[in-house]
Amino acid sequence: MEEPRIGVYVCNCGTNIAKVVDCDAVAEFAAKLPGVVVARSYKYMCSNPGQEMIVQDIEEQSLERVVVAACSPRMHEQTFRRALETAGLNPYLFEMANIREQCSWVHDDGAIATEKAQALVHAAVNRVARHEPLERMSVDMCPNTLVIGGGIAGMTAALELADAGKRVYLVEKQDHLGGNIARVDLTAPYLDSARDILTYLVTRVLEHDNIEVMTESRVERLDGFVGNFKATLGSLANAADGNAAVDVGSVIVCTGYKEFDAARITHYGYGKLPNVITSFELERMLRQGRIETKEGRPPQFVAIVHCVGSRSEEYHSYCSRVCCMTALKYAHEVKSALPKSYVSDVYVDMHAFGKGCEDFYRQSSEVKTLFLMYGRGEHPVIRKADPGDECGMLIEVNELLSGETVEIPADLVILMVGMEPREDVDDVAHLVSISTDKDGWFIESHPKLDPVATTTDGIFIAGACQAPKDIPDTVAQARAAAARILARIARGKLVVDAVYAEVDEDRCSGCRVCNELCPYVAIEYDETKRRSHIISALCKACGACVAACPSGAIKARHFTDEQIFAEIEGVLE
Amino acid sequence: MTFEPKIVGFLCNWCSYTGADLAGTSRIKYRPNVRVIRVMCSARIDPTFVIKALAEGADGVLICGCHPGDCHYTEGNYKTMRRYPLLKRLLADYGIDDERVRLEWVSASEGKRFADIVDDMTERLCELGPSLVKSALATDAVER
Repeated sequence: MEEPRIGVYVCNCGTNIAKVVDCDAVAEFAAKLPGVVVARSYKYMCSNPGQEMIVQDIEEQSLERVVVAACSPRMHEQTFRRALETAGLNPYLFEMANIREQCSWVHDDGAIATEKAQALVHAAVNRVARHEPLERMSVDMCPNTLVIGGGIAGMTAALELADAGKRVYLVEKQDHLGGNIARVDLTAPYLDSARDILTYLVTRVLEHDNIEVMTESRVERLDGFVGNFKATLGSLANAADGNAAVDVGSVIVCTGYKEFDAARITHYGYGKLPNVITSFELERMLRQGRIETKEGRPPQFVAIVHCVGSRSEEYHSYCSRVCCMTALKYAHEVKSALPKSYVSDVYVDMHAFGKGCEDFYRQSSEVKTLFLMYGRGEHPVIRKADPGDECGMLIEVNELLSGETVEIPADLVILMVGMEPREDVDDVAHLVSISTDKDGWFIESHPKLDPVATTTDGIFIAGACQAPKDIPDTVAQARAAAARILARIARGKLVVDAVYAEVDEDRCSGCRVCNELCPYVAIEYDETKRRSHIISALCKACGACVAACPSGAIKARHFTDEQIFAEIEGVLE
Repeated sequence: MTFEPKIVGFLCNWCSYTGADLAGTSRIKYRPNVRVIRVMCSARIDPTFVIKALAEGADGVLICGCHPGDCHYTEGNYKTMRRYPLLKRLLADYGIDDERVRLEWVSASEGKRFADIVDDMTERLCELGPSLVKSALATDAVER
């Protein structure tokens, strides 16, 4: 085989790679590999000068293939493919060697990491020599969008799209719109009414000509691919209604969160002590305008306990982000409704990170809230007061700032329950083919560069289903997801990856083994020719049929046997 | 010099490769013996890939896919799950130790799990010693 002219670029990633891997040594090694005509080590390959270096070398040195050894291809493969296109080279004549996430960041020994990086570069060079130019397909972008979940994220995203003149199908499981915000009284830190926000959104959504709201409904199936999904929607209220199918180009998942079940923590006595309630139970009282104990009396002593289910080894390790400010909001609301009451706030750390929140914390100290700090890993102990005590319960806290164990009175204890993923999160993840993280939140494409997209093209996420967040962040994400979709709709056409499988009809024996294997029904059998063939637009390139074909007649474009064999030889040489 | 086994890892793009990347972004250290090859789905892993890797001198082959029920392609990992025992039976017939080829499920959030699997497999292969497949093939070729 005549080796094509290959350029190899070893990225230092500042010091991320270079502090462990000897990048110059990797470049020197690469320069000696067959076909390699230029090999360089450079500080940041993804920077403009880095990319320009590649473009210039392609033009001046007539490069036919390019390898970049840098971060994960999941990070910058597209970036470098674009650089190849700029230089007039087919973007698939490119390969990345992952020497950061899977080498310099996970190994300490420089010599061994350098050797591993060299093996990975060797594999990439071997592979890229066997790459073929591939043409991408252009498909129509359906301008309709499916929004799953009718909370604040879903409604905001739907309005953004609908206001731009695009059709939206908004599917909500419950019989009303609003999600968790419908259960809230005022919002922190400005004490705006949640009801005002909600009424405004619900009214606009229900009246909008471009939004079709389906409450008590669920998405039964999602078929197709980016730009061309078909969603099957079913009614939860009446199975006899049957299913409806709608065409959509994109999907935004806005399924939100549920609150932590306080009964899981036995030492707070939730469910046993009648006046230990959750934050959402207090919200209900606040919305009804009456704060009272189970005995129907206004409480004199109100205690708020933070981090219930959050920031704990046993339950959820993450911070739920909204509870600290919500707790301060309760201090304000209780003091305003019951000016003679005493409010104590039992916290671990006060997280006041958002805009206006630090000021709100200071104001809360001024309304005479008693702040008590307890240690992480510890917990206050709540017990029933003795007969003759002036209060219903007593809370024992190892107060960190004073270093003393104190006992405070309480008639009403509010547990600040954290956020957790909904119980049906796995079903939703399967439905739209996205992943969840260790805590059950949906994983974004990239936390900073692409926070509302997912690894499945055409599926976006917004709001608390991605991770706990407050209303401003939720609204920002919802609008961002809508904007991403609008940009695609504006282009009209979508370019989809050229990676799919194809059948060599001369080698196909017509055995039909592959026909049943395809989960996308992308393989058709031609009765007259007695051959199978693949509908490329439906193929998602998993390669299950390729590995199964007894005649070796199916080729996985960009993942051919020959390319993978070359890679195996490369990593082992 | 102590024996450092060479492991070829075939990782599916969606779960396991992302999980291995997460080990990196989380700076979880693990043994440097694995060399990863990315495939779109574990169902793409043709048994010949495993045999090829052993023939080229790998001391072990690690196949990683999404957890059952979690496949990006709905059911690709179930195909892997069914093909794998057949491959293992074939390898056993050729006298290749059971522990040299391993199938594990690693999700996109299990960076730690990926690191632990690599450490454990490296440890086991160190105990087993080098694979003789490549040298046996070379001797065989000479004798012929």
